[in-house]
Amino acid sequence: MNKLSFPVVLCCLMMITGISCSKIDNYPAPSATIQGSVYDAMTDSTVQTEFGGGGTRVKLLETSYSSNPTPEYFQCMQNGVFHDDKIFAATYNISVEGAFVPVILTDDTGKIITDSSKNIILKSTATVNFWVQPFLRIEWVSPPVMNADSSVTVQVRITRGTDNPSYKSNLTDINLYVSNTQNDGNNNYDPRYSKLTSYNGTDGNALLGQVVTITTTGGALPPQDVYFRVGARIASGLNRYNYNAPMTVSK
Amino acid sequence: MKKYSYIFLLIIITSWSACRNLDIAPKNIIQDADVFSTPEGIQAYMARLYSELPIEDFRYSPARGLNFFWIISPMSAITGEALSRDQTSAMQENSGVNWPVWSGCYGVIRDCNYFIETLPKYSKDFTSAQVNDWTGEAYFIRGMTYFALVKRFGGVPLVNSVLNYPGETIDQLKIPRASEKATWDQVKSDFDSAMNLLPDVNPDANDGSRANKYVAAAFESRAMLYAGSIAKYNTITLFDSKNNEICGIPAADANAYFLAGYNAAKMVEGHYSLYTKEWIANNPQAQYQNFVDLFLDPGSPENIFVREYQYPNSVHGYDAYNVPRQLAGPNGYSAEINPTLNFVDMFDGIPKNPDGTIKTLDASGHYILYKNTMDMFSNAEPRLRATVILPGDAFKGQSIGIWRGIYTGPVAGGISPLLPPGSKSQYPTTDIVESATADQTPYTLPDGSLMNPAGPSGIFTGDQTCAISGFSIRKYLDPNLPTSQVLENHESQTWIEMRYAEVLLNRAEAAFELYLAGQSGADYLNDAFNDINQIRLRAGAALLASPGSMTIDTIRIERRKELAFENKTWWDLRRWRVLDKEQNGTIYKVLMPFYAAQAGEYFFDARTDERNDVYTFDPRWYYEQIPQDVISKNSNIFQNPGY
Repeated sequence: MNKLSFPVVLCCLMMITGISCSKIDNYPAPSATIQGSVYDAMTDSTVQTEFGGGGTRVKLLETSYSSNPTPEYFQCMQNGVFHDDKIFAATYNISVEGAFVPVILTDDTGKIITDSSKNIILKSTATVNFWVQPFLRIEWVSPPVMNADSSVTVQVRITRGTDNPSYKSNLTDINLYVSNTQNDGNNNYDPRYSKLTSYNGTDGNALLGQVVTITTTGGALPPQDVYFRVGARIASGLNRYNYNAPMTVSK
Repeated sequence: MKKYSYIFLLIIITSWSACRNLDIAPKNIIQDADVFSTPEGIQAYMARLYSELPIEDFRYSPARGLNFFWIISPMSAITGEALSRDQTSAMQENSGVNWPVWSGCYGVIRDCNYFIETLPKYSKDFTSAQVNDWTGEAYFIRGMTYFALVKRFGGVPLVNSVLNYPGETIDQLKIPRASEKATWDQVKSDFDSAMNLLPDVNPDANDGSRANKYVAAAFESRAMLYAGSIAKYNTITLFDSKNNEICGIPAADANAYFLAGYNAAKMVEGHYSLYTKEWIANNPQAQYQNFVDLFLDPGSPENIFVREYQYPNSVHGYDAYNVPRQLAGPNGYSAEINPTLNFVDMFDGIPKNPDGTIKTLDASGHYILYKNTMDMFSNAEPRLRATVILPGDAFKGQSIGIWRGIYTGPVAGGISPLLPPGSKSQYPTTDIVESATADQTPYTLPDGSLMNPAGPSGIFTGDQTCAISGFSIRKYLDPNLPTSQVLENHESQTWIEMRYAEVLLNRAEAAFELYLAGQSGADYLNDAFNDINQIRLRAGAALLASPGSMTIDTIRIERRKELAFENKTWWDLRRWRVLDKEQNGTIYKVLMPFYAAQAGEYFFDARTDERNDVYTFDPRWYYEQIPQDVISKNSNIFQNPGY
């Protein structure tokens, strides 16, 4: 071994390690976008929902490699709009699930009756809108009003959003949710003031189409921003809630 | 010549070595023949199967799954039976820290299949009776394991033979979920096979720790009642791509399942009986003691199937986690299970309002006063006292003192409610002395004597290691265990997974469902009536007057009272599909005793949980989420709805 060998070996080592540093063995991050809204087919306004797992969600099936792919989901925003900009460009079948007549309607043996899901080849951005029939449509009759004792009374009207007899089951709950954030719903409310009412059997159905007046419980509300929202549901499938848009007290 | 002898020698050497067979089983791995050719080997195999049997025992909690020692979020705290400081909302079951339920169950099923396939090869070593007994036990365990899967997930893959990889390809191993109906039918078929093969008494162990014919029948009654309830009450369905109903059973099948449940329960009659060793008619004290001892007497004729523990090999910590605060053991745990007022309200013998809730106010709207806290419960049903430690009741020779605070305000003319009805606010701080922790500063009463603001077992406002509901758990606690021995991983009471009272309740419910469905075949209404009255008589409750007064709720409430805190109620509420209605923004109720200093007497305030913990059961939880790794491994498995 002569004297030159050590620098040569060192040089070789540096080259090897240097090469391994430069190689990025990875795919680019997903960067395509799917966006859209879930609209009430009758009113063309978006279908309100709750954030998180109990709300409307978008279902993606990557159909190019398998007829039976594992579905991917992402949640819709509370106002019925969805937007996800971290999706791989690929071929998708898209549908939405929530408190409305299913986009893919089946009979009671699992046979598909109608299928309104969308098939797209996603390259960069796709806008996909759905028009659905919500189980219930909840509208403000008058904005929330502060009473003399600092409780709050709201008035809403609840109607059915579909004529499909399979999705006209009994109205089971009408809840006034009170929260100090706009993210108000069955998964986030202040139990001290929110007024929850359940109905047995067909009792709740008489309230459909009527003006329903609800007052908060627990006495005076705290002097801070408070948001009000009414959620109602029918006994169907996973018993998801329909909502109206959150509102504060009009001054 | 010398050359030939060398060759000859060489031939001898090489041929000798060839005589030695090198293709032998590894000596360091136990072989089938080691296990399957002796009764001891079979016993070892059985010990493993039974120890892995997925039952919700002393080592189970929904938060941490099966066979895990740390039970600080007890199952009764997700059903409304109890409140616990470590469980503050409804939940679905987690997969399990120690023993993930899906993969664990399929491990047990494989072990059963292996046993069923291998034992016949060694049958010449045993009598045919032995072979039948053991095979029957393997079918029983497999049936129990499918039952554990189907009650959680709905239809699951049916694997009834030992799968081999690489003998079978990956695609062949990707077995899809069977329909829920087919899975329940598999449970029934396995229990039926067990019943056909097993004898009346297990010859290897007749203490209830191993199966016999009637053990299998008792579990079949539970399983078939479950399946019938799903068929009748479930509304969530899921079909796979071949239109198999993997969640849900057609409603038309309900009666067949109820009938199977009824017949299986009836089979057990005469082989087990309700525990009445200390029971004396019209003697509430004896009836109370009888119900306490029923859970601790190893010779109870009511025990059908049990899991035994033994220190130090197999242990739990039930007493350590659940004794009242004043009897806490050296680990410092106590009072994890605090029965709710909603639970106590179900019982007879306590003052009631017309709507069935506990009566704490007199006609003028003032609190009713009691000399001692136990006076309110002087006529309580003996079973309630044996299930729940009521405030002031005796346990381990002590009075378990439970009160929330001392009311120092005026008492003349009666004490008005501290809060408006239904209020979820905190108690007012005026006129009430309370204690944040068990380190108390005594309060001087008007007569000059000293009294702690809260009882020795609570309720403390800043520290939830106490009877946060106003009650503490009594069932299963060992009254003879010295406080120094109340330790985690130290207790060894036997877990009673199946007792005859449940069989009677299964029978009553199945019979009543058949009666409601207009089925003929037996006098189902009277059968249900007699079953329930047997339970009520032993419990010391008032008997039902007539069959006509019964509703399905009569039977369900009886079941919830009798089997409370035995990790059964959650499954019942699920199969009745009522849990999402019971836990619908629900805050459970508590009963807070106060000492009125100026009156020298106690009063009770019934209110909602002061912590305002809200319980909401998401209906999708009726079918548990299939673990994501299962779907990653087997793309033919469909996830349950909503996940």
